[in-house]
Amino acid sequence: MSHAYRAVGWNRQKRLYDLATGLGVVLFLGFFVGGGLWRYPDATVETLLIRGLGTAAILLLHVILSIGPLCRLDQRFLPLLYNRRHLGVTFFLLALAHGAFSIVQFHALGDTNPLVSVLTSNGRFDSVSGFPFQPLGLAALVIFFLMAATSHDFWLANLTAPVWKALHMMVYVAYGLVLLHVALGALQSETAPFYGWLLGLGAVWVFGLQIVAGWRESRLDRGRSEALDSEGFLEVCSVAEIPDARARIVCLAEERVAVFRYGDKISAVSNVCQHQNGPLGEGRVVDGCIVCPWHGFQYDPATGTSPPPFTEKIPTFRVRVSSGRVWVHPQANPAGTRVEPAIVAEATGEAGV
Amino acid sequence: MKATQSEFFVGYQHSAPPTLGRFLIRWVVGLLVVAIGLAVALVMAQRPFDPGVFEYGVVRDFEGILREHPVPALEVARPEGAESVSSYLLVAPGKHGAEEWVAGRNGERVRLRGTLIYRPGMAMIELLPDSLESRSDARRDNGAPQAISDVTLSGEIVDSKCYLGVMKPGRRKSHRACAVRCLSGGIPPILVVEIATGGQEQILLVDRAGGPLGPSILDYVAEPVRLSGRLSQQGEHWILATDPSDIERILPVAKEGS
Repeated sequence: MSHAYRAVGWNRQKRLYDLATGLGVVLFLGFFVGGGLWRYPDATVETLLIRGLGTAAILLLHVILSIGPLCRLDQRFLPLLYNRRHLGVTFFLLALAHGAFSIVQFHALGDTNPLVSVLTSNGRFDSVSGFPFQPLGLAALVIFFLMAATSHDFWLANLTAPVWKALHMMVYVAYGLVLLHVALGALQSETAPFYGWLLGLGAVWVFGLQIVAGWRESRLDRGRSEALDSEGFLEVCSVAEIPDARARIVCLAEERVAVFRYGDKISAVSNVCQHQNGPLGEGRVVDGCIVCPWHGFQYDPATGTSPPPFTEKIPTFRVRVSSGRVWVHPQANPAGTRVEPAIVAEATGEAGV
Repeated sequence: MKATQSEFFVGYQHSAPPTLGRFLIRWVVGLLVVAIGLAVALVMAQRPFDPGVFEYGVVRDFEGILREHPVPALEVARPEGAESVSSYLLVAPGKHGAEEWVAGRNGERVRLRGTLIYRPGMAMIELLPDSLESRSDARRDNGAPQAISDVTLSGEIVDSKCYLGVMKPGRRKSHRACAVRCLSGGIPPILVVEIATGGQEQILLVDRAGGPLGPSILDYVAEPVRLSGRLSQQGEHWILATDPSDIERILPVAKEGS
């Protein structure tokens, strides 16, 4: 996972994922361009291609932006998240083709450098309806390029997680630019209300999902027990509330902690995966390791370290079990610190550290 | 949590758990159906495409009299008689006008090769510049445009090459940047006027002295405008001599249905 970088670690599931993605793109473009030529005999292929590539890209962008919050709301969508970067790169190629064809069509073979022309050919900054929409699309494309170019884990490791994450959160800025690009461009010429409604519905869907998923997440951070023992341990739940090989996520000292039960042991680690901040507490313990639900990164629950040769480390927390209740110390240990699991007594459900 | 308690997806395993797999297949198939439905709906909701034609890849031979002013054109005699001519605007390849190719050759009989661009009411030849050859030393006097009257017209300023068929659409905001590039490169501007009874009239725009309008016209491209000037006619072409100071923007009063 973290040592040997390959462009794509192909397996059957990745191939199926890419097959479905490619099929979707081909079907969409086929029906869009083919349907357009059938419906409008005066249409030109290049115009239909430019429009088809643009709309396919926007549709795929909505799918991509929906996967994250959908996974927060229903874990059954997690397999779609695992290879989401493949969708992202596919989306970028569609957007790039749309942009490149448009620049060639509208700006090439003239008296000005095409890229300069994109930025200068419309100076109506004083008008909403006349506002230049092509520079907005170009700006979004630049952001998408940076995201696609750095989508591989090589860049995540070398840029550091905070920088990488901040860069990839720019997708929402780029999405806003795309909305403006369409609203101030195509929707100014194509006046069928259907287009405006669809664009608005897409935005409501994307931001609505984020809000609902965020609200659900925030509930995790509320309502924890305030019971505190003399050594500073906080009571977080009962042993019975944690299914075997799974975790309960609690918020302690403003940090989410995943409390795992595996067999008769209980360990607590940071809920944040070192890879892409995935929610470890929504993962499972498989073959003795916590497995992140996003991309399968693994950690030893007692030490918070990835099995060799991998080197990821996450903070661990001291944990104890008393009278069937689980107590966790909110002070995080340095990443990779071994903490002996608490043992659950089978008959009584009681145990100690 | 709706995932089954026993199933957990790990991406690097050979296959997904069966229940999850079935759930995902249903969603993926549903998404593909939605994608097809959206593709059809999106393409069907478009405006109809303009009827212009660009005979891309088809090069024809033409012979006629060059007209240098007010915009480059070729007048070709129709088969029915010498008094009847077809007027073709002349442009160069790409987003460039043909001024430099016809400069000083007004009234000259020439043979040239080029590609036709046309829509009802106006036609154009994209000239293959190297094909232009003189057929006679004699020059015909093309005369001056015949003035009709001073008028005020409302319409949209576009570049003639794209509007006639090279681009679809060759007008409105989505085409604005391209129109600016074309006009900047010397493609003759035209005013497209919607006719109450349907269709459009295309009127070539020149400055008051009959020369090309300057770059200030670029600010008014691809949006509803009202402009005043002197209307005249030369051959098959309507010509409006105006000035950028006589152009004003107007708000669209109704959605066009072209």
